[in-house]
Amino acid sequence: MNKSGLVTRLAIIITFAAAVVGFLSTQVFYRITYLHELEISKQEIVQLNTTVSATTSIASYLEDEELLKEVVNGLVSNSVVSSVGIKTKTLSIASTNHQIDDNSIEFQLFSPFEKDREVGSLLITPNIDHIQSRAEQISNDNVIAIAVQASIVTLVVIFVSVVIITTPIIKIAKQLHQITPGTSARLDIPLHHHHSELGTLVSDINSVLIKTEQHIKDERMLRTEVEKLGKNFHMLFENSTSPIILTEPKGDILLYNQAFLKLLERINVPFKKNYGPYLSELFLEPESLNNRVEIAFGNSEIASGEFKLQPSESSEQPIWVQAIISSSISDDYKEHYQITLHDISKRKLQLEDLDLKANTDELTQLLNRRGSEQTLTKFINSKTPFALIMMDLNKFKPINDIYGHDAGDEILIHIANQLTVTLRRRDLLSRWGGDEFVIILPNLTQQEVVEVAIKINESIKQSYFLEKYNKEVSVGCSMGAAFYPEDNQDLASLIACADKAMYYAKESHNNTFFCLYGQLLNEKKVE
Amino acid sequence: MNKWLSFILLTSLCLPAYPQTMTNDPIVIVINAQNPIDKMTRSEVIDIFMGKYVAFANGDKAIAFDLNSEQDIKKRFYQALVGRSLASINAYWSRIRFSGRMRVSQQFSSSQEVANEIEGTKLAIGYIPKSLLTNKLKVVYELNE
Repeated sequence: MNKSGLVTRLAIIITFAAAVVGFLSTQVFYRITYLHELEISKQEIVQLNTTVSATTSIASYLEDEELLKEVVNGLVSNSVVSSVGIKTKTLSIASTNHQIDDNSIEFQLFSPFEKDREVGSLLITPNIDHIQSRAEQISNDNVIAIAVQASIVTLVVIFVSVVIITTPIIKIAKQLHQITPGTSARLDIPLHHHHSELGTLVSDINSVLIKTEQHIKDERMLRTEVEKLGKNFHMLFENSTSPIILTEPKGDILLYNQAFLKLLERINVPFKKNYGPYLSELFLEPESLNNRVEIAFGNSEIASGEFKLQPSESSEQPIWVQAIISSSISDDYKEHYQITLHDISKRKLQLEDLDLKANTDELTQLLNRRGSEQTLTKFINSKTPFALIMMDLNKFKPINDIYGHDAGDEILIHIANQLTVTLRRRDLLSRWGGDEFVIILPNLTQQEVVEVAIKINESIKQSYFLEKYNKEVSVGCSMGAAFYPEDNQDLASLIACADKAMYYAKESHNNTFFCLYGQLLNEKKVE
Repeated sequence: MNKWLSFILLTSLCLPAYPQTMTNDPIVIVINAQNPIDKMTRSEVIDIFMGKYVAFANGDKAIAFDLNSEQDIKKRFYQALVGRSLASINAYWSRIRFSGRMRVSQQFSSSQEVANEIEGTKLAIGYIPKSLLTNKLKVVYELNE
C-alpha cells in the first residue's frame, strides 16, 4: 500500500487521534474517577459510622473493651476501611496497622443517654489502595470501552472515507493521470456521486478538458497555419532576388537573405555584422542616403531612392540599387530597419542608354535639340551664366541638291568634327536640326565669345573634299549669340534672340557671319 | 454478621418514646441516709442505672434497686432519665449482655418495697415517688419530667 496514499494517511491520522484522545480522556477519567471514588468512600465511611454509631456509642460509654474491639473489627472488615481507632477516656482500641493520614475521618462519640456528653472518638482511615484499585478498575473498564468505541469509530470512519471519498478520488486521479490533455478522453462520474461535490469536481474537470481540447485544436490549427505562412514567408524571403536585410538602428544585422550575400559577392565586400546604419558603408554616397532616410523618417515615411553602390575593383559597371528603408517597432518596443535593395543597374543602364539615344543626334553624335534643351534648362536652373550661339550653314542646300543626301550627311559630320575640335571640353555642341547647330559656352565674356565665333567661322570656311565625286566643296555659316541672363532669362525667348541675331547676320550679305543680340538692339536703336 | 445484628438492635433503641402522663408526684433518686454521698449528677445516676459503674463517686460499691415489672413509675423514670422506653432499655441490656455485662440491679415488685429496701441497705440506690420519702432516705437527684 502506498505510504503517502490517502487511505493510509487517513487511517494513520484517525488512529493516532483516537489513541491520543483515548489516552488523555483515560487519564482525566482516571483522575476524576479516583477523586469520585475517594468521595464515595468517605461517604461510605460516614454511612458506616452512622450504622455502627449506636453500638460505638454504647461501647464507648461503657468503655467496654470487648464491645469496642467488636466494633473496630467490624469496621476494619469493610473493604473501604484501612484502619480504625477508638479512644475513650480510659481505653484506646485500634485495628492492627492503625495509621492516621490526611484522608482519615474522625467522629466524635457521645453517650447514648446524654447527647452532649462526649465519651470518645472514632478515627477511620479509608483504604486508599482499595479506592485506587477500584478507580483503576473502573477506568480500565472505561479504557476498554473507549478503545472499543474508538476502534469501531475509526474503522467506520476509514471504511466510509474509503468507500465514499478516497476510492472515487483515487479512481478519478488514476483516470485523470492517464488522460492526455487535448484528446477526447473524459472522466467518468463515480457511482452515486452525481449530486455530490465529487460529481461537481469531475464535471468541472471535464469542462476544463473540453476547453483544453478546443484550445489545443485551435492552437494546432493556428500553428499549422503559422508554419505554412512562415514557410511561405521564408520561401519568399530566401528566394527573393532582392536583398532584404533587417538591422537594428545602429546597423547590427539581424536578418538577411541569400540575395544579400550574392550582392556582397558582386561588389566584392566580405560579410560583416555591421555596415553602419542603413548599410551606408556599402553605398557610394552615404550622405545622400542618410539625408534621404532622415527626411523620410522625420515625416514618418518610408525612405526610398536610387543609389549607387561602392564600385568594386573587378566589376566595371557600377551597381545601382533602389533602396527601400522602413522602420518598424517590434512587440517588445525595439526599433528595426528593414532594408530592401532592388538591383536596378540594368534598367539604369538601359535608361541611360535610352536617354543618350534620345538626346543624341544619330548622324553627328552631337546632342540633338532635346538634349541641348535639357542642358540649357539645367544651366538656367543652376543660374550658370552662358552664351548661346545659334549657327546656320550657308551654301549647304546646293551641295545637298547636287551631290545628294549622303554628301550632305558627310558634310554635316565633317562640320560636327570641326566644331568639336574647336570648342573647349566644357562647351556644349548640339545639332538643332537640319543644318542648324546650337553652341553653348558657359562662363565666357562677350569678347571671348566673339573670339570663339571667329574661330568657328575659320574652321567651317575651309573646303572639304568629297572623295566620291572627286570634288572640293565649301560651306559657310551665320551665327547669332544671346547671353543668359543678360539678354533673356527664358529659354525659348533666349533662343528666339539668338535666332534673330543669326538672321540679321545672314541677311546683311556683307560678309557678316556673326551678330550679337545685344549689338542688334543697339543698332536698331541707332536706326 | 455482627454488624447487621447490632444495626437492627440499635435502630430499635431509637424508636420514639410514647408520651407520658404528667403526675404531681415527682420521681426522686434516693440513697440510704447513712451514705456519705449527698448529691449526684444526672450522669452519675445514669452511669449507675445503665451499668457503666457499680460504685459511687467515692468508690463505694453501689447497688441499684429497680422494679421488676413495667410499672408506670419505671416507665417515667427511664423516660425522664435517658429518654427511652422500657423496651429500648431492655434491648440495651440484651445488647450489652453479649459482651458479658450483666444487669446488676436488684429487682423489686413495688416502689414501696424499693424504699424499704434502701432504708435497710447502706450502699443501695433507687428511684421512688417523692411521696414515699422517709427520713431514712436521702434524695441525691430529683428528676424533672
